[in-house]
Amino acid sequence: MMLIKKSFFLKFLSFVLLACFCATAAVADSRLIPPDKIVYPKLKFELPKAERVVLENGIVLYIMEDNELPLVNVNAIFRTGSIYDPPGKEGVAELAAYLMRTGGTKKTASDQLDRRLDFLAASISFSMATDHATGDLSVLSKDIAEALDYFSQMIIAPAFEKKKLEIAVQLKIEDLRRLQDNPQRLAFREFNRLMFENDARGRLSTPKSLHAITRCDLRRFHQEFFHPQNAMFAITGDITRDQAINLFSKYFGAWKKGRVSEEAPPPKQTFTPGLYYLHKEIPQSTIVIGQFAPGKHHPDYHAFSVLDFIAGSGGFNSRIFDAVRNNEGLAYSAGSFYRARPAFGIFGAYAFTKTSSTLQALSLINGTVDEIRKKNVTPQELEWAKQSTINGFIFSFTSAEQIAWQQMRNEFEKMPPDYLELYRDKIEKITLDDLRRLADIYLNKTKNVVLILGDSKNFDEPAGDLPEPVLIKPQE
Amino acid sequence: MKRNNLLLLAIFIFCLGFAGRALCFDLEGKVSKTKLKNGITVLLLERQVSPTVSLYIRHRIGAVDEDEGETGAAHLLEHMMFKGTKTIGTKNYAAEKKILDAIEKTGTALDREKQKGEKANAKTIAALSAKLRKLNEEHKKYFIPNEIDRLYTQNGGLDMNASTGQDVTTYHVSLPANKIELWARIESDRMLNPVFREFYTERDVVMEERRQRVETSPSGKLYEEFMSAAYAVHPYRNPIIGWPQDLPWLSPGAMRKYFEKYRAPEKTVIAVVGAINPTETLKLIKKYFEPIPASSAKPRMAEPEPRQTAERRKEVIFDANPMMIIGFHKPNFPVYEDYVFDVLETILADGRTSRLYHLLVTKMQIADKISVYNGLPGSRYPNLFTIFATPRHPHTNAELENVILQELERLKTEPVSEEELTMAKNKLRMEYISGLDSNAQLASILSYYEVLTGDYRYFADYLKNIDKVTPQDIQQAASAFLTKENRTIATLERKKD
Repeated sequence: MMLIKKSFFLKFLSFVLLACFCATAAVADSRLIPPDKIVYPKLKFELPKAERVVLENGIVLYIMEDNELPLVNVNAIFRTGSIYDPPGKEGVAELAAYLMRTGGTKKTASDQLDRRLDFLAASISFSMATDHATGDLSVLSKDIAEALDYFSQMIIAPAFEKKKLEIAVQLKIEDLRRLQDNPQRLAFREFNRLMFENDARGRLSTPKSLHAITRCDLRRFHQEFFHPQNAMFAITGDITRDQAINLFSKYFGAWKKGRVSEEAPPPKQTFTPGLYYLHKEIPQSTIVIGQFAPGKHHPDYHAFSVLDFIAGSGGFNSRIFDAVRNNEGLAYSAGSFYRARPAFGIFGAYAFTKTSSTLQALSLINGTVDEIRKKNVTPQELEWAKQSTINGFIFSFTSAEQIAWQQMRNEFEKMPPDYLELYRDKIEKITLDDLRRLADIYLNKTKNVVLILGDSKNFDEPAGDLPEPVLIKPQE
Repeated sequence: MKRNNLLLLAIFIFCLGFAGRALCFDLEGKVSKTKLKNGITVLLLERQVSPTVSLYIRHRIGAVDEDEGETGAAHLLEHMMFKGTKTIGTKNYAAEKKILDAIEKTGTALDREKQKGEKANAKTIAALSAKLRKLNEEHKKYFIPNEIDRLYTQNGGLDMNASTGQDVTTYHVSLPANKIELWARIESDRMLNPVFREFYTERDVVMEERRQRVETSPSGKLYEEFMSAAYAVHPYRNPIIGWPQDLPWLSPGAMRKYFEKYRAPEKTVIAVVGAINPTETLKLIKKYFEPIPASSAKPRMAEPEPRQTAERRKEVIFDANPMMIIGFHKPNFPVYEDYVFDVLETILADGRTSRLYHLLVTKMQIADKISVYNGLPGSRYPNLFTIFATPRHPHTNAELENVILQELERLKTEPVSEEELTMAKNKLRMEYISGLDSNAQLASILSYYEVLTGDYRYFADYLKNIDKVTPQDIQQAASAFLTKENRTIATLERKKD
């Protein structure tokens, strides 16, 4: 017994040594070519497209069949938004969307809808943004007719049941209460309020405004915005073109036409640049910095995306991430963000760092951004950002749902019809001069709103010249 | 790791028997499984949906495998694996190595001095800190930072990331389908020759990660305290990110120890899903990964958790709104009861008509949120059936607890209805199917199951088992496990003045 064990052990040892030897030999082997020198086979890629049809009552419908799984997805987008909340009744839009799902329809009571959808394991949800709303349905293909029936009822004829409205108001108030417990959510909400001063986008719901909302407000809001001219749909998955059109005609055919809503006006941009503190006694500060930037319709949109990639959203190698996290170890999360809407954009930076390195991290971000502006982006960086964007482009086309949704959103946002076709070319043509020009306009720290949520009494000493901080209170 | 992955696997075998349709997603016939000479398992699945590919590497090593006093090591090691290799990220490795050694020596001395606490010599600390800073600056001359990320990103990589769980550590990326060789070159190299650069800075990054996920997050804090109460002995009691008394002192030596001990081919599973030619891909993988030596790592089982004999309670004081977690010990997958608890999880809290949601949120209106998870914090060892709840102001944790426990008691005396059971099974089925619609999800599921159970086909009987679950099974499981002496209740409350 012993002997066997021993010999096994010896055998095992020699095997390991041998294997190690192989491995060591392999290191010097030509196998390890420098990764940049690998030659790749050519990639075949054709831009896949969903079909666009217009139904009799004007509904735009994108269709893409895909039979891999027995599922159907429906995505909808609506021209509306929380910017249309009546003053003093902030929250109407969001509650309308929530109640469309939970408040029953004129034909079917909410309890009945919940039971059937749960039984079918189908999911329906609506969500409200500042300048649009979305709706999503996901269901087994065998149940698509029944589920689409409910989906259409919720969109066309919601009942906004009183009892469900009361629950929704209470849950929203609870959500606001618990927002105070989440530093990142709270900081970004307050940052938005500062950026959108004197603008409908900065008017957010409060317990008071929520209590003021009645079913009548929801009905009025729904009537104004939810009609075929304000909606677009995409249906994808295990369904044929004809089935899709038939079902949509059946369930959305009687939907009465309405007036197309006006474009949401761009924000007034009357915000006050400066340094704002939001005091909360926690061991880590949330820093959010930002200013306005080009929108999606602006000719500089592509170039600005590349600038943002280099500044802080392009991962480990982007400047802010590298400076704050890799170099100094001051944060786990740090970088930049560029949120572009058709008519405007917001460019910003963020870092979450311990109380004692708060102002050091702020200076580091400011210094890093200043450096981009003064010393320019390098040709290697530009090449890295362009190649990353161009090579990664194919990942926007990995499922039927994604492909159709993207085309629908582009039409909804009035992007040029050849937007996707030309995307890579436009990125390819961006020059260092473009970035220099944009950095000069938009990477100006004196124009920034800077919000720091944290234990402001114990921040470190400011490293450079910082404006006098203004202490703000979160919205009640 | 999301529990869902486990469930999702079941669909591979489950044939959606809709009459006249050929929708059976028969992955068993499509997945090819190969064991390389050194023990690495390779799973390949061709899926020509888009010219992309998702690549997953999973190692059967996690926080649960850490030694006492070194909690957080597996996770910090995962961070260190992004710092390059002997040939990636260096201008001259031989010269760089000397500085890295000096950095480690200085850093170790600095840690040792700091650990003396009040007796530490301030001058020594200042001198060593200055020296470390200087060495770090010097190191920059030889080091090309972030090369792994740059290579992947520039070549169109998406979702390049890694994760550390209690059970398993995962490295994954999606690439254009023609660039698999880049992945093979990088990943085989880091399984063989990783270099742990910028160690002390990265340790600070992880401390910030801890502040972000735990110290400033009421739910993170409560979860940590809950687990440490629910497990008295077993290492599942330790947080993946590490205890604050261990994390600041983790050493490069500990990184090497875990790397050597566990980064073994026998415990490694690779899954590649997407627009591939399986034969070509396997050839490439063999070329790059087969030279990795087999290892002598011996499997070690964690000390079993003794049977709980009395209810445990923990109160966390935190400046935030109240919340609570209730958990019960139970067997882990693939013991039959685990399937029963999957069904029960769905009955209790999946959907607006589920028992607890309907009762607490809609009917009584005392809860803000309610969710149930079967199988936390891992699946390699017996785990927990857990209930997370937040009261709606002005209601309290105590009120929620009362109602939830009453509902659990009811499970023992009244069988669930056939309608509820069917609904739950429908939902589980839907969950599987909708999780199969991407290369990344498929690669994730295949590799997870393989690394956890040793066979990705283990899920073969999953839905069959789910379908077997009867109202009596639920009643029995509830009676056996959802008992007072088997439960832990952790609550978070604001400080009472």
